[in-house]
Amino acid sequence: MSTLVTIDLDGRAVEAEAGRPLGALLHRELNAVLRHTAKDGAPRGVFCGMGVCFDCLVRVDGREGVRACVTPIRAGMRVETVRS
Amino acid sequence: MRRIDTDLLVVGGGPAGLEAARAAAEAGIAVDLVDAGFRPGGQYWMQDPTGAPPLSAQGSKGAAAIAKAQATGVAFHSGAEVFAAFPDRRVLANAADGPIEFTPRAIIVATGAHDRAMPFPGWTLPGVMTPGAGQRLAKLGGTSAGERVVLAGSGPFLMAVAETLVKLGKPPVALIEARPTDSAIIAHLARHPGRWREAARLLAGARAIPERRSGWIVTEAIGSERVTAVRIAPVDRSGRIDRARSETIGGIDALLVGWGFRPMIELTALLRCRHEHDPALGGWHCVTDRASGRTSVEGVYAAGEVTGIAGAVPARLSGRLAGLSAAADLGADTAGDEGERASLAEQLARARAFSDGLGRLYAPPADLVTLARDDTVVCRCEEITRADIAAAFADGTDAVAGAKIWTRAGMGRCQGRICGAAVAAIAAAETGITPREAGFNPPRIPLRPVPLSVVLETTRDGQE
Ligand code: FES
Repeated sequence: MSTLVTIDLDGRAVEAEAGRPLGALLHRELNAVLRHTAKDGAPRGVFCGMGVCFDCLVRVDGREGVRACVTPIRAGMRVETVRS
Repeated sequence: MRRIDTDLLVVGGGPAGLEAARAAAEAGIAVDLVDAGFRPGGQYWMQDPTGAPPLSAQGSKGAAAIAKAQATGVAFHSGAEVFAAFPDRRVLANAADGPIEFTPRAIIVATGAHDRAMPFPGWTLPGVMTPGAGQRLAKLGGTSAGERVVLAGSGPFLMAVAETLVKLGKPPVALIEARPTDSAIIAHLARHPGRWREAARLLAGARAIPERRSGWIVTEAIGSERVTAVRIAPVDRSGRIDRARSETIGGIDALLVGWGFRPMIELTALLRCRHEHDPALGGWHCVTDRASGRTSVEGVYAAGEVTGIAGAVPARLSGRLAGLSAAADLGADTAGDEGERASLAEQLARARAFSDGLGRLYAPPADLVTLARDDTVVCRCEEITRADIAAAFADGTDAVAGAKIWTRAGMGRCQGRICGAAVAAIAAAETGITPREAGFNPPRIPLRPVPLSVVLETTRDGQE
């Protein structure tokens, strides 16, 4: 049932199962660090895993502030992390 | 924008929402069900997002409930987040293919709950998550939170997460339960033989964990880019922490810590239903007439965790009750249902007695609010520390809503869903008021951020 697709993660091609949460893939691929905060530059990762806390924000296909944990993986999606 | 005119809109596709939708549809009512998840099922009956067959008994129960609801003609809208609702019962949701406007004659809110997190030093470090997040990473993502996971906090859900991680081949290295072991839990279980099998299954799963402690609490997460160690200390029956006897568990890469659940009340709050505060029910919850699911607002019903944390069994029962009574109020012929409704109400009361008792037994320890230090971030969105919030209370703020205006705590994207309980606890500690008096942050539209294009589409259509 599961389909392997390729996504672009910060310029690197990564294989992943379509339909699963992007947040889980990023947790694995990025050693849990999904972004750095604007004010303190502190590292953040998946915290609630259900779209409530907004800690897992990334840029997807150019759109800012996308919650990775509630975003399904799609073939060819371009994911950029926000680092300070 | 799509417009859907329907008899009944059910919000939430977990056990409560699915049962409510099916009961009403069987009575001949047109039902639409909107659910934010990848697939319906909610947290208890979580379904694999790739369509793989369910691995657990709960997953199979969910698959069966979804199939039954579909067979009765319920129209499902999955992956759609409700972002606005109005007193005229208009509800706006954002789905993958654009916004939907629902104009139902009645609404059943079955939005469930989210983990209750409380701040402590190091809780913003990557690798520190709620137990629910660990569960979802595993069940939806096929990913363990880490190779060496510590599971901590309080409540039976910790054991459910342990069971999942054991199945994934990554048993936690330690389970740190704050509640000291005593005979009260055994006595409580003894009064509810219907729950023995479930309890035995959960206990069996916990046996695979090498280090198990009761009456201990996580006081700090340590690491620079990711959690690598955790400090723990004994906590006694009155909830006092004994830091002199602290220990460190090192070599870890994930810490899942949670204190039960909080009802997801944003939608019932927007619809202006009455809410009450009870720590054993997860704090603020929507008040309902238990036998009918009616809220204080006509045409709005609520079922499941949003009416007070109680677990999957009461969720299912209250869902069916709400579905039947909404159908009757909408004019369906429900003659002959009285017997079933009386029996459901009786079962619900029994199931609630069990969960209310558990809620009281696993209440978070009194000293929990003392874990955050002055420089600990409390509001994760706006990066506001405990000292900032305490200063606002010292200057005369006296409620959660006031702290938000003074410090921005709760003003960020999560709208205070994560820090609200902590800010109320800090208010109580600093000013002597009760968490109930501290209140909660009223939800703001949009409940979840939506792209500008969606906002434009909904407002443009509204002007036509
Ligand atoms: S981890 Fe909380 S919103 Fe994604």
